[in-house]
Amino acid sequence: MPHLVIIPAYNEQESLPQTVAALQALPPDFELLIINDGSRDRTGALAEELAHGSERPLHVLHLPINGGIGVAVQTGYLFAAKEGRFQYVIQFDADGQHDVGSLSELVAAAHADELDLCIGSRFLDPQQEGFRSTAVRRVGIRFFSLLIRLLGGVRITDPTSGLRCAGPRAWQRFAKHYPEDYPEPETVFWCVRNRLKVGEISVKMHARQGGRSSIRFRQSVYYMVKVTLAILLDRLRPAGQ
Amino acid sequence: MPPDAAATWFPRLTAETLMLAGGIGAFVLTIYLVRSRELREKYAVTWIGVALLLLVAGFFPGLLKWAAEQSRLSYPAAVLFLALGMIYIFSFSVSLSLTRQYRRNIRLMQEQALLDYRLRRLERNQAPTEVKL
Repeated sequence: MPHLVIIPAYNEQESLPQTVAALQALPPDFELLIINDGSRDRTGALAEELAHGSERPLHVLHLPINGGIGVAVQTGYLFAAKEGRFQYVIQFDADGQHDVGSLSELVAAAHADELDLCIGSRFLDPQQEGFRSTAVRRVGIRFFSLLIRLLGGVRITDPTSGLRCAGPRAWQRFAKHYPEDYPEPETVFWCVRNRLKVGEISVKMHARQGGRSSIRFRQSVYYMVKVTLAILLDRLRPAGQ
Repeated sequence: MPPDAAATWFPRLTAETLMLAGGIGAFVLTIYLVRSRELREKYAVTWIGVALLLLVAGFFPGLLKWAAEQSRLSYPAAVLFLALGMIYIFSFSVSLSLTRQYRRNIRLMQEQALLDYRLRRLERNQAPTEVKL
């Protein structure tokens, strides 16, 4: 069964060509899906050009308005659900932060350990190499890690990582329900709470190559409050919901 | 000019006149917005109800006094509390319907993107055919 790599892209015309070129090195059973999230630059047209010249199946979806990262990624899961022929669905950032080498490792680990969700973590490497986000954000990441450990009993070192490989049990659920903004920690917790098998492998990440992070300083307070509330309230939901 | 000279041509500012003015204002605004199709009749019904209540209270102050005595809500703090409660319920229902509306919009947008993809794929796979009249 083929795998699907979801690439959400909002105003990523600078880095998208490089990202797609790097992904061509993947084994042939990986298909690509760019979700143009209502970009105002040339991302949409560029994605179509890239699809035209791609060696492997490269699908492009255009959201008419910018819906945010959660909406874009969920559109990818919906695509996978409609197509019904993919095994693993992998989320991969368009901005060049993620490494293509770690993508195959992620799928291999998910397969070997029968994981429902395999996360690429920046904090498992003992040498602590690669881009590990800013100090302030690391404190936030630690906090969510602790919260998930306290409420779910599972140790996840990088719950905010956007490099994730979802097995059918996880992505079929994500196609139905997925948070619209800052979805990563909440969905990790959902999986943990519903006894889906979640694991991590060590990956190296790079600093962004272009575009802007979707999280700016002013929004970080909202991010912390919103995600904490979402996780705490998710704990109160019955199993499966 | 004596201080109450204005009162001869301008109604005195009392709770009754305020309610009358508020009632007329709310009534006109609701009708105007429905007329210009900016407000759905569904929501207008409630707001016309509020406007009518204000108007009735303005025209018949005795009625309001009677209702206050009957319900023992005759002191200002209780009325304020009641008004705040009403505003809370209204605003909360707006937040709820906004959330519902937002989710629906998202789903429609996603379906549109998926259909657009299927249409483009169909168009690509279909060889151009001549239209015969």
